[in-house]
Amino acid sequence: MKPNMTRRVVWVIAAVTIAWVPLAAHAAYPEKPIKMIVPWAAGGDTDAISRVFANAMEKHLGQPIVAVNVTGASGTVGAREAKNAAKDGYTILSIHDSIHTTYYTGVSDLSYKDFEPVCLMTSTPSVLAAYGKAPWNTMQELVADAKKRPGEITVGASLGSTSHFFPAMIAQAAGVKWKYVSYEGTAPRMTALLGGHIMLGETNLTQIDKVKAGQMKMLAIATAQRLPDLPDVPTLKELGYDIRYAVNRGLVAPRGTSEAVLVKLEDACGKAAQEPAVAESMKKQGTLVEFLGRKAYLDFFAKEDKVNADLAQALGYKRK
Amino acid sequence: MPEGATIHALTQVLTWQSLCASFVGVVLGLGVGAMPGLTISLGMVLLLPLTFGLSSITAMSLLLGLFVGGMTGGSYSAILINIPGTPSASATGLDGHPLAQKGHAGKALGVSVISSFYGGIFSLGCLVLSAPLIARVALQFGAPEQFALIALGLTLICGFAGQSMVRGVVSGVLGLILTTVGQDPLLGTPRFTFGSVELQAGVLFIPAMIGLFAVPQIIQGMRPGAAGVIPRFTGGLTQMLPSWRELLRLNRSMLVGSTIGTGVGAIPGTGGPIAVFLAYDASRRLSREPEQYGQGSMEGVAAPEAANNGVTGGALVPMLTLGIPGDPITAILLGALIIQGLAPGPLLFKESPEFVYGVFWALLLANLMTLVVALVSVRWIVQVLRIPQRVLIPVIALLCVVGSYGIRNTFFDSLVMLAFGVIGYLLHRYRFPVVPMIIGLVLGQELEEQFRLSLILSAGDPLVFLHHPISAVFLAITMLVFLLPGLLDLWRRRWPPAA
Repeated sequence: MKPNMTRRVVWVIAAVTIAWVPLAAHAAYPEKPIKMIVPWAAGGDTDAISRVFANAMEKHLGQPIVAVNVTGASGTVGAREAKNAAKDGYTILSIHDSIHTTYYTGVSDLSYKDFEPVCLMTSTPSVLAAYGKAPWNTMQELVADAKKRPGEITVGASLGSTSHFFPAMIAQAAGVKWKYVSYEGTAPRMTALLGGHIMLGETNLTQIDKVKAGQMKMLAIATAQRLPDLPDVPTLKELGYDIRYAVNRGLVAPRGTSEAVLVKLEDACGKAAQEPAVAESMKKQGTLVEFLGRKAYLDFFAKEDKVNADLAQALGYKRK
Repeated sequence: MPEGATIHALTQVLTWQSLCASFVGVVLGLGVGAMPGLTISLGMVLLLPLTFGLSSITAMSLLLGLFVGGMTGGSYSAILINIPGTPSASATGLDGHPLAQKGHAGKALGVSVISSFYGGIFSLGCLVLSAPLIARVALQFGAPEQFALIALGLTLICGFAGQSMVRGVVSGVLGLILTTVGQDPLLGTPRFTFGSVELQAGVLFIPAMIGLFAVPQIIQGMRPGAAGVIPRFTGGLTQMLPSWRELLRLNRSMLVGSTIGTGVGAIPGTGGPIAVFLAYDASRRLSREPEQYGQGSMEGVAAPEAANNGVTGGALVPMLTLGIPGDPITAILLGALIIQGLAPGPLLFKESPEFVYGVFWALLLANLMTLVVALVSVRWIVQVLRIPQRVLIPVIALLCVVGSYGIRNTFFDSLVMLAFGVIGYLLHRYRFPVVPMIIGLVLGQELEEQFRLSLILSAGDPLVFLHHPISAVFLAITMLVFLLPGLLDLWRRRWPPAA
């Protein structure tokens, strides 16, 4: 190839490229893979749930959603990366209630207000569980015993997170005091509970097998009505404690992402939520599909934020 | 074991899909294991979406192949370039690399592969025969017991101190101190983070390990006229594999390694890196020629390699019987099973015996596959040493940066790796041993966490460590290990042997 010929080819390529740019800018979002930051470890509940939704949403978006686990500091490292990402809709964040708890316990300075809500995906109702050989078989027995010896019954919890806030709400409502024992994450907490090293802990429907095997007792569930999978476990509400609690997972985008992009994502999420396969997969994870669109999710955030703020204050946490 | 279910499970493992899956898993496992920074858990995360469409046994064949292959592959880079490919290979290079430098790279790799197989099969045997029993014992390990076990691990710092006990202890204690960086494990209060969000998670072990081992190697290799950092391999095939007689002599080390690996693997919250150092140390204490350790002892390769594959079967015990993941790898396996619609837990053995036996067969297959693939490929792997140093060293440097980035996709971890590289270089330069620092980094956080948990549970009563029998026994052994050499010394001085 002669030099001037080469130069001409380069010019043509450049011209075509430049011509493409405005076209690309107007082309329909999404036109490249979307990165979904999961701020928790691979294989965990949030990871598994988000990946199932991501798979289902891809079909409606026409582009893959790539899950990337950015872990650390109770989900804060990943959330911060998402907050600072380009607001073009190609970075979204999978989130759960820890965004409130980490904020109000002073672990992070990120709040839900740093993001644009996309959709609430699921809700995993919390269950209060006791060691299989614990002396109580019902919530009433537990509360009566706890009143007799305040601050003695041990509860495993990751301090300042949902597994701490849930038993704390019960303690507040029932007028009892637990002794909190801190475990980092669900797996060590469950190990300690099964081994009888602690007496109580927050868990969810995935652990039903352990109840059947006599290794664990489920004393109460924090839903509005009893669940078909756990017909014998009373709700806290019917026991007289007005508590509904669940780990709620959803998707958000960096603040300032355009409306058009958010609508697309919301729409795909809504369609994914309606798929029977998704519901089936969630059921295996002890989780209910609970779709809320952008507006409803924002209201939900605000409400949860208030609940967590009050609870953190009652627990003695101060927002720095 | 009901025969029908066993055989039916076997037929599921012997399908071409499962065989292929196991092969792919093993090859990828050997690969991610051998690459410093690419971890087994990362490999599993990447494969996880592929398993959604597979049957549960095929999925397990793939993932278990990766698990077993990765544990074996970690020794490749430890032996050849003295950089452990996985945290669980941290102890393999201690003797594997000196062996390679003496020109016995092939033999060291052979010992590693065969000990890995031994450890894998041993732990599988334990899993099949006594999983529920092991699980019950493992559940007894509450906070005081775990603290006592880790305290025993601390004695290793002295064991790896090398020439000077003081330098060894300084290095180990520095490692322990560095683990206090990050969120307080119980209260979440940030400590020594200087406002950095990334540091809240603490000093991640893998970037630290890569930095400590690899960067001094790289710096040395880049000095003008440097030679011999990477051993040259010139030998032919005959020098490759250990002989039967050599293997038979390693039986004791492999047995010690397998037992420790299986036991430690079964206790949730511990894992490979602790197991390999414990195994190395125990094997040295029981050895007839302990002075050979560190100079290129084959026992010193066999014990940790048997231990890290022993961890595979051990780690499956709490996962299958209780549905509890003991480490990040089994957490991903558990996630894969849940997505498959199987809920591992106490009822799994009763409700899905076929699946459980399928897992056993798949694990056997993974071990056999790893043995065959690894032995066949040893001859190619060794060729890495034929690559000129000026090409190999930059490639290693690149892998270190990418690998530490890949742990949680932040460049910050690459910087941590570099910082530890500088620490490692300084340690090296001023003749402080590196291994005690690695041990400190492995044990520090658990040590603190379990100690404080024990005291919370006992309402501040320190006697809790003696009231729990398992913990009391471990602490007694710890004291013995600390005091015995001194007492023996005293004994000898008082009553010198008549000679």
